[in-house]
Amino acid sequence: MSKLAKTSLPPIAALLLVVAAWQACERMFDPPKYLLPSPLEVVSAILKDPGKLVRATWRTAIAAVAALAISIVAGTLTGLLFSQSALLRRSLYPYAIFLQTVPIIAVAPLIVLWLGYGTASIVTVAVIISLFPVITAATAGLTHLDPLLVDFFTLHHASRWQTLWKLRLPTAVPSIITGAKTSSGLAVIGAIVGEFFTGYGTNDYGLGFLIRVTADQSRTAELFAAVLASTALGVMIFAAVSSAGAVILNRWYDPAH
Amino acid sequence: MPRWTILTPVLMSLLGCWQSDPEPAPATAHDGTLRKVTLQLNWYPEAEHGGFYAALENGYYRDEGLDVTILRGGADVPVVQKVAAGQADFGIENADRILLMRAQEADVVAVLAPMQTSPRCLMVHEIANVASFADLKGVTIAMNAGEPFAQFLLKKSLPNDVQVVPYTGGVSHFLRDDKHAQQGYSFSEPFLAEEQGTDPKVLLVAEAGFNPYTSCLFTRDELADEEPSLVRKMVSASVKGWKDYLASPNATNAAIHNLNPEMSLDILAFGAEAMRPLCSPEGQESQPFGRMTAERWQNLAQQMIDTGVLEPKTVDPAKAFRAEFLPSDSPE
Repeated sequence: MSKLAKTSLPPIAALLLVVAAWQACERMFDPPKYLLPSPLEVVSAILKDPGKLVRATWRTAIAAVAALAISIVAGTLTGLLFSQSALLRRSLYPYAIFLQTVPIIAVAPLIVLWLGYGTASIVTVAVIISLFPVITAATAGLTHLDPLLVDFFTLHHASRWQTLWKLRLPTAVPSIITGAKTSSGLAVIGAIVGEFFTGYGTNDYGLGFLIRVTADQSRTAELFAAVLASTALGVMIFAAVSSAGAVILNRWYDPAH
Repeated sequence: MPRWTILTPVLMSLLGCWQSDPEPAPATAHDGTLRKVTLQLNWYPEAEHGGFYAALENGYYRDEGLDVTILRGGADVPVVQKVAAGQADFGIENADRILLMRAQEADVVAVLAPMQTSPRCLMVHEIANVASFADLKGVTIAMNAGEPFAQFLLKKSLPNDVQVVPYTGGVSHFLRDDKHAQQGYSFSEPFLAEEQGTDPKVLLVAEAGFNPYTSCLFTRDELADEEPSLVRKMVSASVKGWKDYLASPNATNAAIHNLNPEMSLDILAFGAEAMRPLCSPEGQESQPFGRMTAERWQNLAQQMIDTGVLEPKTVDPAKAFRAEFLPSDSPE
């Protein structure tokens, strides 16, 4: 079996099983549409106006990717800062946890009030949701060092900068990649939550808006279609981050190279 | 009122709850015990539900042999789904949503329409010098664009260059910006905006021509078919409650305030006062309370089809309501 088939066949088989079970449920219990539309109804909702779904997905993707990029950069920088001073880390890390615990549903309307309707608010909400995993992962990676290597650097009178650049950062990359993977799904959720509260304008909308509108109109099949598109977007961004991470790790961290 | 919660009943149903309909019991049990009935509200207790609370407080439900439990609603409660699936006996919902849900195979039927004129409005600043929807040029409007009333306004009444943004509750944006309009209920948001020192003006959506019956009492087809006497008792006690509430709301408002302290006695009093003309509009005072006509249901369905909210031929408006349970002799 080729490598591609080995990795892609099991999830496809699992998906087919779930869809088959879903269709079987429809057959057996025949639930009304408002409870559960059939897979067929969802597919026809997608096919009715695929352009609309694709445009909304694209809009949300841009906001999510922007937020993820900001989170990776800002999270890594915060981690670098924290790695330079234990005092700084102890004083500020508890506040970084705020990002994780803040009830975003309550804060999002305020953000819209401060930053206005539009992309800036949506990206801000998504950053708040996706930043924390990168901060934690980067801080851990930059501070948990091999003591032997630290001694080695000290013995050779390495400067703070040299230690950071040649020891801390290379050690931290794998864990930053893990943090970024966790954040990739969160960035999509954040963008959708942001879109719930702020729009891009009258004729421009993302998946969050589509989810809200179809729910407002009780169009269950179209709601499922929008939710599926959100999920697919999350998976795609996760896959992209994973592949980029795998390339980096293979190139620089695989002992075989 | 946001309703993103369609998934909740799906999950409940997947867990097998939808087969758990309680066995129908007779409307008045022979041993003199009361028949237990649940009424699911569409929001937290507020003036909009005053008549039902008055019926409860004044014992009208008990007089009919009913032990009614009123369940609070909220963003997390899918009202029509719960009633359709048998998890509640009656519910409160607006006529447009009843049509939308019937199109999704939820077999529910409206049996009483306390509010004949919809309180749905856009609230604008008096200072913005707006006389009608057509004057809202260049204004930012916060409303849920998916709601049928919003689609009606966008397609029939508003100028093309309005900027529509999602409505997220409250009145903060409105307070900040003279060029901002927002959705609301005429007896609620304008009160809050005025309290905060602005001068709001109300444009009723009903005056633009879109006027769904509001806060309808509804049940599922099955219950109306199998226990018409239960439904009749529920309707007649509710009508009594509504007449009481509109005449003297204070005691009931105190009870609502107890259940939902977020609603101050002042806003409840304002609400009851503002609802009176909505419940018995000028020129209709001699009509039976809460009546519904086939013409209005038909007209509403047609408007929703015309504005693309409802697929043609998915719902028969004549089946969405039943006027037969209303007490025959109940003019104002």
